[in-house]
Amino acid sequence: MRIQRKNLGIPYVLFLLLFVVAPLAVLFYYAFTNGSGQFTLMNFVGFFSNPNTLGTLVYSFAIAAVTTFVCVLLAYPIAYILATSRIRAKSAVVMIFVLPMWINFSLRITALKEVLTFLEGNLAMHPFLNAVIGMTYDFLPFMILPIYTTISRLDASLLEAAADLGASPREAFLKVTLPLSMPGILSGVSMVFLPAMTNYVVLDMLYNSTYIMGSLIGSYFSAYNWHGGSMIALILLAIICLFTFLQGNTEESGANRGGALL
Amino acid sequence: MYRRFRGRSLAALLVACTAGASAAAAGPALGVYAATESAAIDTTAATPDDAAADDARTDNTAAGDAAGNSTATADPEQEVTLRICNWEEYIDEGDWGEDEVIDLPEGDIFGENSLIEDFETWYEETYGVKVNVEYSTFGTNEDLYNMLTLGDTYDLVCPSEYMFMKLISEGEVVPLSDHFFDKSDEYNYYVKGVSPYLENIFESHTIDGEPWSRYAAGYMWGVTGIVYNPELMTREEASTWAVLTNPDFNKRVTIKDSVRECYFAAIGALEHDKLTSDAFLQDAAYKEKLEEVFNDTSPEMIARVQDWLQQMKDNVYSFEVDSGKSDMVTGKVAANYQWSGDAVYTMDQADEDDFRLDFAISEEGANIYFDGWVMLKRGINGDAAKQQAAEAFLNFISRPDNAIRNMYYIGYTSFISGGEDPRILDYLDWNYGAEEDEEDTVDYDVAYFFTGDETGSDPDYVLRAPAEQTMRQLGAQYPSTEDIRRTSIMQYFTPEENTAINNMWVNVRCYNIMHLPWWGWCLVAAGVAGVIWLIAGRIRYVRRHRED
Repeated sequence: MRIQRKNLGIPYVLFLLLFVVAPLAVLFYYAFTNGSGQFTLMNFVGFFSNPNTLGTLVYSFAIAAVTTFVCVLLAYPIAYILATSRIRAKSAVVMIFVLPMWINFSLRITALKEVLTFLEGNLAMHPFLNAVIGMTYDFLPFMILPIYTTISRLDASLLEAAADLGASPREAFLKVTLPLSMPGILSGVSMVFLPAMTNYVVLDMLYNSTYIMGSLIGSYFSAYNWHGGSMIALILLAIICLFTFLQGNTEESGANRGGALL
Repeated sequence: MYRRFRGRSLAALLVACTAGASAAAAGPALGVYAATESAAIDTTAATPDDAAADDARTDNTAAGDAAGNSTATADPEQEVTLRICNWEEYIDEGDWGEDEVIDLPEGDIFGENSLIEDFETWYEETYGVKVNVEYSTFGTNEDLYNMLTLGDTYDLVCPSEYMFMKLISEGEVVPLSDHFFDKSDEYNYYVKGVSPYLENIFESHTIDGEPWSRYAAGYMWGVTGIVYNPELMTREEASTWAVLTNPDFNKRVTIKDSVRECYFAAIGALEHDKLTSDAFLQDAAYKEKLEEVFNDTSPEMIARVQDWLQQMKDNVYSFEVDSGKSDMVTGKVAANYQWSGDAVYTMDQADEDDFRLDFAISEEGANIYFDGWVMLKRGINGDAAKQQAAEAFLNFISRPDNAIRNMYYIGYTSFISGGEDPRILDYLDWNYGAEEDEEDTVDYDVAYFFTGDETGSDPDYVLRAPAEQTMRQLGAQYPSTEDIRRTSIMQYFTPEENTAINNMWVNVRCYNIMHLPWWGWCLVAAGVAGVIWLIAGRIRYVRRHRED
């Protein structure tokens, strides 16, 4: 019997059904039911009418936004310099920046905790700052790598053309390099922003006792309220979908702009 | 040894946090698959030999009756599988160093193999039946409960008192057989050795009208208290729950990230004046009234607790998951809310670095907690051979030498006082007794634990110990008669109370949007406007492309 090409997809379909569709279905079921299994919107209404859960959303957003901003500020110059420099051991230098990623996460944060205690004295005095530092430390490689890859793949002839047509290096950077590296920045943002909203281990380990979205979900589950917890997870999922939708926009127009330049 | 609140283990945390949404999605999803997995692992069906002989029993299930029967006639061909789920690092895993022998007058005690392996060997030698233990662990009581809800099947689990109360009230638990309480069977180490003091508690506390002791066999117990650095804090300052809001220790005290522990501490601090008044302390019904105060879950009390906890949150260093012990030892904090077993471990660790830490039990009252074994209906499933093995396991770990091995290994205090067997008392003396030539010793009375007489004293149970030990490991492991009088059990929260208290907890832990400053609102507004603008742009873009 000949294996038909389309049959090769069966394992993947099964995988999707088991690990994506089914969990999502269960998530939806719990989010829209109450303890006795009846349909309800109360979980949804409850989230948006409670100043504390809304506050958590804002607080998580704030941590994630500041983290992402700091990551972009730090990562772009590094990635740019590395990608455009002529040093031979480029990949080795990139590796040094990515190196912390290969060290166990909890070990890294524990080490960071000691360093910050040495610098700040009492960690509990600056919970927000510590959370941002911890997240930035943790997620920076995820920002550097995509930006570096995008910039190093840029066609150098575009910059030559810009120079030929009279653009100063500054103009060439702002009008050619930066727009063309947007896809890298965006994929970095999506890899940093969303995890930063839920990664509560960093907060736990650095003594920030305020809940963010991840810990809030956890607290609902340990109070056996799977319904409320699922609804919050679903709301996060909706936010992620929204962001992906918006990102599609800029990415395509970025590509368009690139096309226009050619 | 991160017993009661090992919290979320790191591996689970990493999974949970890398994608909050998808992790939460996967949680309930597991139930679907786990539920389809039948309890097919059960190996043997029991052959109750002479059930008719035990006609006297009426109040037990069939399985209970059968398990009560004598053991000699078990079929050697059979093999029993016992699925046990216990706290992480909560049993002697053996492999002791050679210098760790506990040399009691009655003989040496040494942990060569894990207690699980020793049990398997002992059971086969004693009853002629091969038993195969599938041992797994859980991190928190809530994790265990969720695991059970998701369909995990165990025969024997060891939750804390409030969780086994919850399981019993939900009808998930098989009662212990009458045979388990038969003192004439030489292998019934639990009933012969359990501390009369704790036995009284298990007899007098009920759930749905039935005493705990009918369902649960105690394993370890302890009290909550404050571990503190005596160089930074006086004993008086540490001996009250108000230490958590003491501005002198702003950001230098930690508390467990646990609703129940925080709730208890809050009541202690809020009711300080009442609880420490002479009238209250002298009251004939002191103990009952104390438990009433600490189990107040009225809406007014929940509101007051919320206010106090909010104030406390601003004052403490953090709500810690399992960093409290190391933060004490590294000197980051001056005091830490601890379970006595963890406190013993913390003080031991500090001693190794010549760093002294002490333990104080709050003057308002402390939470006394118990971890007890219960057999689950879904696991035992009427299988008498299995129930017999489960009860034999409880007896085996209650044999005084095994209880000592566990205490030595995990630092918590066993339920076993030994009964006729003097080894537990000897172990106390081995561990804490003063040297012959030692000065500054005190006579420490632990009679309540061995005789059950809460206020009595008995020269047979007086230990001559170094004075400082009463404020340290000894005082934590076997609290003094005065301290033990001020301990209160904390009941489990009913589903309604649980919802109300969890809401209170979320209110304490979350950032309240009403506290957002004006510029914060401006940023939120700008952010929302930006998103709307982007959405509009995206829609326009899609439309334009469709027209093209």
